[in-house]
Amino acid sequence: MNRQKRWPRRPILLILCLFWTAVQPLAGLAQGIPTPTFPALQGEQEVLSIHAATDRPAMEPLIRDFQILNPNTRIEFVEYVTNDLFAAAFKACQDGRALGDVLLSSGVDQLVKLANDGCAGSVRSPETQTIPRWANWRDEVFGFTFEPVVFVYNRDRVPAEDVPKTHLEIADLLRLKPETYQGRVGTYDIRQSGIGYLLAFNDSQQTTTTYGRLLESLGRAHTVVRCCTGEILDEIEAGRILIGYNMLASYAYARVRAGARLGLVMPSDYTLVLSRGAMIPAGAGKAAAGTRFINYLLSGRGQTLAQQEAFFFGFAGEAPAGVEGAASIVRAGIARPIAIGPALLAVQDDERRRRFIADWSRSLIDMTAR
Amino acid sequence: MARREPSLFTRLIVLISLVLMAGAAALTTAAWYYARAAANDAYDRLLVGAAYQMAEALTVQGGTLTVELPVSAFELLANSERDRIFYKIVDPDGGTLTGYPDLATPESDAPAMAVPEAQDGRFKGVDVRVTKVGRFFSDPSVQGRVDVVVAQTTEARTALARELTLRAVALIIVMSVLALGGAVFAIRYALRPIGRVGAALRDRDPHDVTLITVSTPRELRPFVSATNEFITRLKDRMDLMQQFIADAAHQIRTPLTALKAQLQLLSRHPMEPQGLQHLTRVQERVDQLSRLAGQLLSHAMVNHRAGAVPLETVDVVEVVRRAIREAVPETLDRDVLTSLELPPVPVTIEGDAISLKEAVKNVVDNSVRHGAPTQLTLRVRQESQTVNIEVEDDGPGIPPELWPQVTKRFGAPSPGGTGLGLSIAADVLAAHGGCLTFRHADRNGFTVIMSLPSRTGPKS
Repeated sequence: MNRQKRWPRRPILLILCLFWTAVQPLAGLAQGIPTPTFPALQGEQEVLSIHAATDRPAMEPLIRDFQILNPNTRIEFVEYVTNDLFAAAFKACQDGRALGDVLLSSGVDQLVKLANDGCAGSVRSPETQTIPRWANWRDEVFGFTFEPVVFVYNRDRVPAEDVPKTHLEIADLLRLKPETYQGRVGTYDIRQSGIGYLLAFNDSQQTTTTYGRLLESLGRAHTVVRCCTGEILDEIEAGRILIGYNMLASYAYARVRAGARLGLVMPSDYTLVLSRGAMIPAGAGKAAAGTRFINYLLSGRGQTLAQQEAFFFGFAGEAPAGVEGAASIVRAGIARPIAIGPALLAVQDDERRRRFIADWSRSLIDMTAR
Repeated sequence: MARREPSLFTRLIVLISLVLMAGAAALTTAAWYYARAAANDAYDRLLVGAAYQMAEALTVQGGTLTVELPVSAFELLANSERDRIFYKIVDPDGGTLTGYPDLATPESDAPAMAVPEAQDGRFKGVDVRVTKVGRFFSDPSVQGRVDVVVAQTTEARTALARELTLRAVALIIVMSVLALGGAVFAIRYALRPIGRVGAALRDRDPHDVTLITVSTPRELRPFVSATNEFITRLKDRMDLMQQFIADAAHQIRTPLTALKAQLQLLSRHPMEPQGLQHLTRVQERVDQLSRLAGQLLSHAMVNHRAGAVPLETVDVVEVVRRAIREAVPETLDRDVLTSLELPPVPVTIEGDAISLKEAVKNVVDNSVRHGAPTQLTLRVRQESQTVNIEVEDDGPGIPPELWPQVTKRFGAPSPGGTGLGLSIAADVLAAHGGCLTFRHADRNGFTVIMSLPSRTGPKS
């Protein structure tokens, strides 16, 4: 009620919110956006349908390499945003169908929820045993990437002394230099982004006081919230935003490789690590092909290629050149992988989600809007 | 032919194995039951604990019931890594605040203060354990009981129960194997006296009719005493037989003596040469008959004494002296030079003097009758392990191919012989643990050697 009156003060937000109000009902119904398929390299014998809420450019080299091993497989790649993928998969499972043959999503909590509801098929192979235990639940949901959650900043605009190294430092920076960073910090809008919610939730689980101070500072700094990593990175590159909080390192590093003047910091107090999830829906038509694909993703070959071309980090935690922070956050002991397991069900609880997002909104959006 | 019965060992092992198998099956069932109870108990605590944590997180804020489900509750349940978790929170009006609305609320009649219990259920087509924790609110806006229902699949419980059972089964198998091994050992040990009695019976000399004195457990005593009774009866019968033979021989001797006297009287009468020839033949036959009777008597006596009379210290030299003295009347009939080569000191062994004397007499008799034309020598020699009594004559002796037969009863009856003499000697020696051997000298000369085991070895 109150918000309604305050919106006009920030026209951009108003437009954005209006846009989302318009889009949201459509998004609920939206099926994934089909993209050109990856035709079989040789005579087509089967079609593997991958429904994914993950960026296709990163997946492309992996899919093409998989096709070298399986030249008779055509791959159909359907793209969603995480919440839509979950909604579609959940509905399909309720109806006793399977959505595609493989689900890929960075919203691992949603995949865990699906597996908990019995919507996942089991995959047991030597490859599934090689990944860390926290990245495998019930041999049904697998984490196939290792993606530190980092601070991203614009190298040209943020002086070296300002670059935050810990969560506390970023909170202090925003508090001490409001004139510089007011309205120039960006993060996920957790109301829209499943990953953003998952990351914020895990932040809150790490240290309550730090999280509280950080949230307060972010709110005071009139933090810009966006649905997706890409948008924030665009704005950082353009210089409209100086620091991006809780960004997935893989996206940002891809831009660094492409020449963007971005700096990446793995916080030295703790670095959340998200592992994108892969799952075979129960009753999938091409479960065998799906199993092959998941095995490929987890295999040495798939992991090596992913580290070189797609996600730039491996389960060992070694950071590529140009990322600030520990050489290996795993060895340094600061990695906080978001374990794929039943604890994520607490994240997925409707009531808890509602309350968390409400609190978050109160601290961040209302403050921003004030 | 009696049906072939399974051995005692087999019977016992089969029976014990059956008992052990039945026991193992019963124990395995019990182990599975207890293991499942233990696994349920262990994981139910976590389940109830998680439900309590969730109930703890219930709050009333701004007049509405709300809950911030603690991650720790789920982490508690994640102790069973593979198990799926279902929950719902039911507000006092019966509406589902959050969670799975179609999860059934377990009916429990337990009073509100009681510790919640977990029970079996099914949800989404799988077995679950489900528990309910109630929390009462008496807020102005929220009044009544809020139920927290938590369910968990049973994979970890089953896995734990299976592991516990497998360990118990491993123990049961080890115990059974040990028990079976112990049983095999015990049965073999317990059955050993049977083998001992069997061996005692088997190793007995055919003529041995002494009682079995093997010490046996109580259970075998009826068997042994029955055998001993049988032996006693057998001995009685054998004694009777021997007695009968002895009596018969004795009874025959008296008329034979009379017959011989009559024949001598008859020979004094003048008669035709042919008649005389017949008479001579009759006399020879009568002599033979009388010798047979004597030897039957001797045989009966020797056999009777063997095994029935305890052995005592015997001076072999003295035995030989007596034997030759008693044999002399018979050897006097012919001109045979008899010489004795005896040691000046007594040579003692364990034996039966009377049987030994009969043996020597029979050997001497045999030599005089079939061997020695002129010369007979008796020697007693102390060897390292044996005491040898040698009877040497200058006759042709017995051809070696007949040696094995001559010691058998009626084995190689010679013309004019009875076929008993050497067999009597052999029996006596066998009863003493000795043996009868033969030796041919280079020229004329044949020696019968009676070897007896020496008691104390050679004397200086």
